[in-house]
This record gives sequence, C-alpha cells and structure tokens, in this order.
Amino acid sequence: MPLKYSLVYKAENTYQAPITRAFWQFLILPEANETQELIQWHFTNDLDETSGLSINGLGFSVIRVHSRKKISKISFTAKFMLVKKEVNPFNFIIDDTPYEKHEALQSIDFRAEHEVYLRKTVFTSLPKQYIGIYSFDQSISIFENLKFLNSWVFEHLYFQSGVTDVYTDLEQIIENRHGVCQDFTHLFCAICREHGIPVRYVSGYLHQGNGYFGDSQMHAWAEAHVPEIGWVGFDPTNNILASSNHIKVAHGKDYQDCAPIKGVVYGTGTNETNYSVEVYASQQ
Amino acid sequence: MGARHDNSLFKSYLKKEGLLDEVFDNTGEAKAIYQELFRLYGAHSISDYVHLNNKAKNSFFNQGITFQVYGENEAKEKIFPFDLFPRIIDSSEWEIIESGSIQRSKALNLFLWDIYHEKRIIKDNVVPLDLLSSSSNYLHQMMGVDPPNGIYNHISGIDIVKHSDGNYYVLEDNIRCPSGVSYVVCNRTALKRALFGVFNHYQAHTVTDYAENLLDILESVKPKGVDNPTCVVITPGMFNSAYYEHSYLAKAMGVELVEGQDLFVENDFVYMKTINGPERVDVIYRRIDDLFIDPLEFKPDSALGVPGLFAAYRKGNVCLANAPGTGVADDKAIYTYMPQIIKYYLNEEPILNNVQTYHCSRPDELNFVLENIDKLVIKPVDEAGGYGISIGNQLTKSEIKAVQNQIKENPRKYVAQPILSLSVHPTYIDKKESFEQRHIDLRTFTLLGKDKEFVLKGGLTRVALKEGNLVVNSSQGGGSKDTWVLKK
Amino acid sequence: MLSRVANNLFWMGRYIERSEHIARYLNVNYFSSLDAPNEKSQSRQFVLKSMLFMLGEPSEDHTVLNEEKVLFNIGLNTDSYFSIINNVKAARENANSARDLISTEIYEAINKFYHFILNYDKEVFVKKGLYDFTVNVIEQCMILRGKIRATLLHDQVYAIIMMGINIERATQIIRIINAKYHDATVAKGSYGDTVANSFEWITLLKCAEAYDMMRRFYKKTPTSISTLEFLVLNGDCPRSVMNSLNQICDHINVLDRSKHPAKDSTAFLVGKLRAEFQFKKVEEIEEDIQRFIEQILQKLFGISQKMEEEFFKF
Repeated sequence: MPLKYSLVYKAENTYQAPITRAFWQFLILPEANETQELIQWHFTNDLDETSGLSINGLGFSVIRVHSRKKISKISFTAKFMLVKKEVNPFNFIIDDTPYEKHEALQSIDFRAEHEVYLRKTVFTSLPKQYIGIYSFDQSISIFENLKFLNSWVFEHLYFQSGVTDVYTDLEQIIENRHGVCQDFTHLFCAICREHGIPVRYVSGYLHQGNGYFGDSQMHAWAEAHVPEIGWVGFDPTNNILASSNHIKVAHGKDYQDCAPIKGVVYGTGTNETNYSVEVYASQQ
Repeated sequence: MGARHDNSLFKSYLKKEGLLDEVFDNTGEAKAIYQELFRLYGAHSISDYVHLNNKAKNSFFNQGITFQVYGENEAKEKIFPFDLFPRIIDSSEWEIIESGSIQRSKALNLFLWDIYHEKRIIKDNVVPLDLLSSSSNYLHQMMGVDPPNGIYNHISGIDIVKHSDGNYYVLEDNIRCPSGVSYVVCNRTALKRALFGVFNHYQAHTVTDYAENLLDILESVKPKGVDNPTCVVITPGMFNSAYYEHSYLAKAMGVELVEGQDLFVENDFVYMKTINGPERVDVIYRRIDDLFIDPLEFKPDSALGVPGLFAAYRKGNVCLANAPGTGVADDKAIYTYMPQIIKYYLNEEPILNNVQTYHCSRPDELNFVLENIDKLVIKPVDEAGGYGISIGNQLTKSEIKAVQNQIKENPRKYVAQPILSLSVHPTYIDKKESFEQRHIDLRTFTLLGKDKEFVLKGGLTRVALKEGNLVVNSSQGGGSKDTWVLKK
Repeated sequence: MLSRVANNLFWMGRYIERSEHIARYLNVNYFSSLDAPNEKSQSRQFVLKSMLFMLGEPSEDHTVLNEEKVLFNIGLNTDSYFSIINNVKAARENANSARDLISTEIYEAINKFYHFILNYDKEVFVKKGLYDFTVNVIEQCMILRGKIRATLLHDQVYAIIMMGINIERATQIIRIINAKYHDATVAKGSYGDTVANSFEWITLLKCAEAYDMMRRFYKKTPTSISTLEFLVLNGDCPRSVMNSLNQICDHINVLDRSKHPAKDSTAFLVGKLRAEFQFKKVEEIEEDIQRFIEQILQKLFGISQKMEEEFFKF
C-alpha cells in the first residue's frame, strides 16, 4: 500500500555582519523516480526574495534564491507532499555468483561505464594504513558481501551527532569510531570503491517512525551497483536496505555533490546555518 | 666565412654545431628565403637598428601592452620582449602545420565527446581508463552533456617545434584557455611601424583576420532557437596578466568584455547588466578556468564566475567556449596517446609528429626515466606555462637526485621526453649589440566551429632569450617574433 | 553597454576634466600673482592657500605653508587624494577597464599621459617645473578630449564620457568661482579694492580660459557681475555652467530617449536645472553667491547620483 508523506524542511541563516548580496541553492526536492512521486510542494522565505527552479551539475532539481538586500538573517521553509510506493528491498533475483567469479567488475566496459562512481574522492578514499580494514568474502555473492559490509559499518561506528562536521575526513572517523549518517555512508562508499564496486552517496529524508537513527536533519545512505541487479540502496547508519522509509533527493560521489544548501554570499564575517527536517507519514 | 661577417649587426653571431639554424645554412650563407631579408637588415647600422628597436618597444609600451612586475615598493610595467627579425615559414611547410593542427583539433574534439559519452576509446583499450580517472580536469558534471553543435575545443593552441632533423614536432596541445594570439597581431603592427619597407619584398599572409573568424566560430555554436546570438568575452579582470589580450579580442570582435559581476542568471538564462537593462547573452568566450566559472557548482569562493552559469550551460541556454572539462585532454599524459587518438577517430596517420614520451606511471618506463634523467626533459602532466619542467642535461647531481625522488613520490604526475634540439633563429641581444642564435618554437591558433575550421596563418613564434635555454614560455622570460607565412 | 563599464567611462571623463582644471588653477594663480597689482594678490602664501581652498582643503589664516610641499601635494603626491597624479591614475584605470570600448588612440594617449606624469621628476617639478608640468597636463587633456570627439562613434559610449566631462566641468567652474570669490573677499579687506572690481576676477576668467573671450564680448574690465554672468549664464562661453548644462542635456537625450522623461529620472533633473539657468538673472546670483554655489553644487551632485542609480547599478 502506498505511503503518503508530508515533509517540512526549515533552514535559518544568520550572518554576523550584514550581507549585501547572496545566492542560495537548495538540493532538497525529492526526486521523481519509480518509487516516489512528489504531488505538491511549496517553498518560501521570510524576506520574500524571489526563488526559482534550476538544476545542479548532475541534473538534480534545485531551488535557487537570490537576494540583493542588506540582510543579517533569512529563513527558508519548504513543504512537500509525497507518495511513496511500498518498496521491497529484495524484489530482485539474487545472483549468487561468488565475488571472486565476478569478472564483470574487472572488465573495462564496466569500469569505464561506472568510472564516476568508482572514483575515490577525498571523503571516500581509505587512508593508506586502513586499506585492509575490511575484506570481502571471496566465496559469497557481491550482494551478500555488501549486506555484511552494511552491518560491519553499523557496528564499527557509533552514532553520535555533533562530533563530526562536513569537513571531517575518513581517517578521523575511522580512528574515533563515531559520527553521523554521512560519515557512515562515506566509510561504506570508500570500502566499496576500494573493492571495485561502483557506489554513490545518496541524500534524502528518513522516516524515523520505527526508531531509526537520524537527527532531524537530512539523511544519507548509499547505492551500490551490483552487477546483474543494478543500483541497490544500503543504509549503514541503520543496518538496513533502503526502503519505503527512505525518500531520495539526489546522489553524487560524496557529500559535496549532495550538500542540501550551498550559498554564495557577498559580505564579511561568519555565518551560521540551522536547519531541521520533519517527516510525517500516513497510510493512504 | 659567409656574408654574415660583413654585417655589423651579426658580428657576434656564432653558428653552433648540431643546431638547426632556420636562417643560415652550414656554410654560413643566408638560406634562399631569407636572403633578401638579411640584405635589408644588413643595411642598418647598429645605431639605426637600436633606434628602431627602441621605437618598437615604445610602441608596445604606449599601447599599454604590458604586464606588471611587482618589485620592492611599487609595481612596474614591462613589455613582453619582442624581436624585430621575423621568422618566415614558406607555404609548403605551412600546409603541413596547418593541416596537422586541424587534424589534431578535430581528433581532440572527437576524443572529448567520446570520453564524456560512451567512452568507446577506453572500452576498446586504446587509452587507459586510469588517465581519465586520475585527472582532476575530467569533470563528471560534463558527463552526458551535449555542447552546442558538439564542439568542445573551439580554440586550440598547439605548440610546435622544428627539430634538428628538420621535422616539426608537437610539444603540447593547449585547449583550456590558450593565450598569445593578441601578440601575433601586436608583433605584426610593431614590425610594420618600425620596418615597413621589408614587407615590399615578401608576400606575407595577414594576421588580423583572427578576430572575425573567432566571432564566426562563436556565432556558429549559438544555442538552439537563437537567430542573432550575443557573444561576449569574459575576463577575470584588469589585473590578469592576459587582460590586454581579452580586451583586444573583445574590441576586435566588437563584443562586450565582461567580468563575472556583469552577468547574472535567471531561470537558467544568462544576462548582462547594461545601462538599458538586462540583455541576454548566448555565447561566452571564457578566459577563466573551469573551476572558477560558477561558484555554486565549482569553487565556492570564486568571485570571478557567475552563480548558476553551469546550469544554464547544461540546459543548452548558453554556449561556453571552450567547453568546461576540455582540460582533461591537454593533460601531458593524454598527449602521448595523440597518434593513437588521431588514428582511432579519423582513421588517418598523424600529420605532425609526437615527441616520444615515457610515462612514469608504467613501471618499465619509470625505471628507464630514473636511470636516464640527464638525457631527458621531465614534465609534470598537469601544469601549464612551463612550470615544473626539469631539463636533465642542465641539472647538477644533487638536483637529479631531487627530481628522482619527486618522480618516485608520484609517478603518475610525470612524463619524460628526450631533450629536443629546437631550431634556432637570429635574435637581437641588447647587451651584445648583435644578433645571436636563440631557440624558438611556434604556437598555432586553431578554431573549430560548426562546419568550419580555421588556422591563423602566422602563429606566435616564441624565443627563449637566455642563451641555450629551451623553455620559451613568457612566464619563463621568453620573447616573441613576428611570424610570416608566405603566400603561394 | 555594460553598466559597470558605463560607470568607468563616466569617471574617466570626470577625472580627465578634473586634472585639467586643477593644473590650470595652479598655473594661472601662481603666474598671475607674480606681477599682480596689489601686495596681497602677490603674496605667495595667499596663492598657495587659494590653491588648497579650491581643492577643498582650506587652511587656517595663520598657517604658514611650505611652497614645495604644497605643490608636491597637489601635483605628484600619490598619498593626497586630490593630486593630479592620482586623478590621471584613476582616469587610466577607468580607461583600462573599458579598454574594449574606447579607441586605441584614446587609450594610447591616456597611457602616454599617465607615464609622462609618473616619470616626472618630483624635485624638478617643485623647484622649476610648475609651468612645464601644468601646461603639459592641460595640453594632454585637450588632446584627449579631441581624440574622444574624433575617434569614437557618437553613440551611448560617447554620451556617457561627455556627461562625465561636462558635469565635472560645471562642478570645477563653480569650485573655481567659489575660490576666487573667497580670494576677492580676503584681498578686499586689506587693500581697499572693492570686491566688485577685484583683480581676482581677471584671474578667475583666466582659470576658465575665458578672459580673452570675455574682453571681446563685453569690451570692459571684468567686474564681479559681468564675470559671473559670463561664466555662469552665457551659453556661448565654452566653459560656462550654461554651456555645460546644454551639453549634458544633449547627451542625456542619447541615453534616455523617452519624450517625456519620468519624474525621477536623470533626464528630468537635467532638463529642470537647465530650464532654471536659462531664465536666471545674474543679480539673483550676486545677491547671495555663497548660497548659489552651495545649491548648484548640490544639484550637480544630485544628477551624478541619479545617473549612478539609473545607469550604473550592477
């Protein structure tokens, strides 16, 4: 049975010294795909600056706001109504070819096709000393391996907000063993890429009704490309596969491609962003 | 003893063994094509010549064709060194250079299309995937994007040298923002002002038609649905070292020279702010690097770019020349695959030679390079402007050690080539009050548009002013010469 | 035309014009004081103070000024905001950023001008170069104006530059009137000359290169009232405020082609000011010169500001 979600995204930016001109870009619109449909949305800001719809570098929809006033504070509110189909994460035929037999991963066609999501970025490169931190089991399928990896990341790190930020690199995360969803996801991605499995970082919303980890902010998980199956969503923060509780916004190589808010601001001084996300569900 | 020595301007002209002198043959006589020129120059006394030389320098200075040198107290303006003795290329040699330049530009364009779409050349194992994935200029934002009319490298600057074996070799392909074309025009103007008489004896092709051809090319890649496209040149601003060139091109094309702050994007269309309100912009010849064009998509702290520009480009509402992401193909490691790239896409043999190149990323070649540094030129693959180049036979033992360590640290970053013997050309040296041999190269300017291609008949001959030096880049103290391509 | 570039061209025009008026003020005042008919007007301190006053830097009565220092500050000191060198530098920088729009001839001339000043020996200037330096500055400015007129299409680009030149010219003429009026008042106190018949009016006319024209027109020794009439209201005098206003009016019509300009537009303000001057009586001005000067400066400033809002905002 489809689920109906209503979501509220709020962000408030404050500037220590007033700014004279600014652009903001919000990557927060749920994407339209087979499992989800956006039926209604609404975006406002308290200063009545004009906003418009555009795309980011990878083609995902973004909302853009431009201001030429002198301001020191602005808040944005977005509301979405969305229908999500019931997702069975196992709706594919399990391919049980063992990992070692998967020549596809090594083939130049496959590697060239998925070059972007095999590329190691600053956030998804394992530090030298941790290259071997996790090994795949050669005798079981790729999908099984990824499920184990999902659990391993979930157990290896402790969910704790406030100890890491968007600049924290993988080395610190592995050493300190705590972080938030984006850190879990980066670690998962790094290990996948180390093993030649294309994987993309996904940002979106999580319905926390069932006691999942998240912190009233946007959620992150990963989609790995399993040969013969396609892209499969893994949520290492909660040790589950992406399901009807996961509402996808965008994907990219890592967090940087998916930052929910980007700003280009003309002015001096520091700024602060506070934002929150609420997700409500009702059976339809 | 040739006629050379009767000529006071050539009194200390020493012809070194083993170098290819473009003007004098082995007996010291001027080659046929240069005989008249040599005679005309020979008619000048040293003081006449110095006078002309200073006049030419002043003309550059007064026109403000200068760059800033930052000294202890204040910035000083200097002109780019210019030599009054022109280089002549006859029509048959030029045909090779011209067709070779076009061939390379076309092949590079097809290569760029391919690696941002199906990647056939990779899948067919012609070019290794690693070269792309390790290149920071391979923009995944460009994946699957179709630039207007399929053109990526509208403007290419190809650096060519003449080796002592008499053949032309390509040193590198510059397809990001190649500069120098304004100096081709300035050099011609200066030479005409100083020595107009010499033009009576030679039939040289004009070089002032570059701008009109560039405008044609830019207009040919207008976005869909636009009849009369508005083109602009975007510059980082007047403090950029190539600002003169940017303003020259805008002026010669009769289009606006804009800075990032003059443009804005609304509903994914680009506009410029004019005194009569916003005016739509369709084609942008951009002289700012990929990472600075749009702070929302690339470097967030870039004040040079235009927020939202990339989205407008992706949607096909504006054309950028050159396209973002072309830099991946002027990587010096990609260069080494040019013969294969030309063959693969055009099914032709390369017209211009490539220099044999060793990849430090390949273990066997790495070993060869490490053992033979004294006979090689070591180049970082991703630098431009002659930075980071080491020339093996000019290094001390400890410097060789240092270079070896640098390479071992990051083999992918370096390629090596045999030390080429660039041809030499008589160049007037102020201190010596005489002409002397100096090494030269040639940068050609090739334009690629919809069903149209153009190579500027002339190009920029760059001179390494230090005796024996092989690096000709202006950032490394090089000068330039007017270059005549003779009519058939 | 880009708004940013329009702004640069406007200011290029202003700085060129300003340099010329400062240079001429130095030249005329210094050299006519040498054989002035009364002691006060001959006094070097009086002349130096007048120069500084004109530039908006009045000094106290009892201050004793150092001639070389004052000349250096006005001519070649890059640390004083009003110096000629800084004005020319600013003109060139503005030209630089609009280089694609102005002709090569203009750029070359402005560039040569800048290098001439940059390389002018400071010692020579303060000791014996005043005449040579100021005459050169005046000439270069005139050459520049000639090239602006002759090598540019007379379109919006030209109109913007001419707006700058003429607004600045009117402003400078008023400032010069202000300074010489002040001088005349001071000179009167000590030497019995009446303000109305002061020697300073001749100097004033020379500062505006209008002395000969004025003699030809009135055939009488200039008085305060005839001088004011000539320099403010006579549209045929090429440096009068009226003449500048007429030109400003012509050029704004190239930029704003509306038949009935909006009430808050530059064209409206310009038209209104010109109409006011067209029907002004010199007696009204003479009644309270100080008030008149303040008002006209205010209005010119208002026009410049309106232009910024209307055309240059980016």
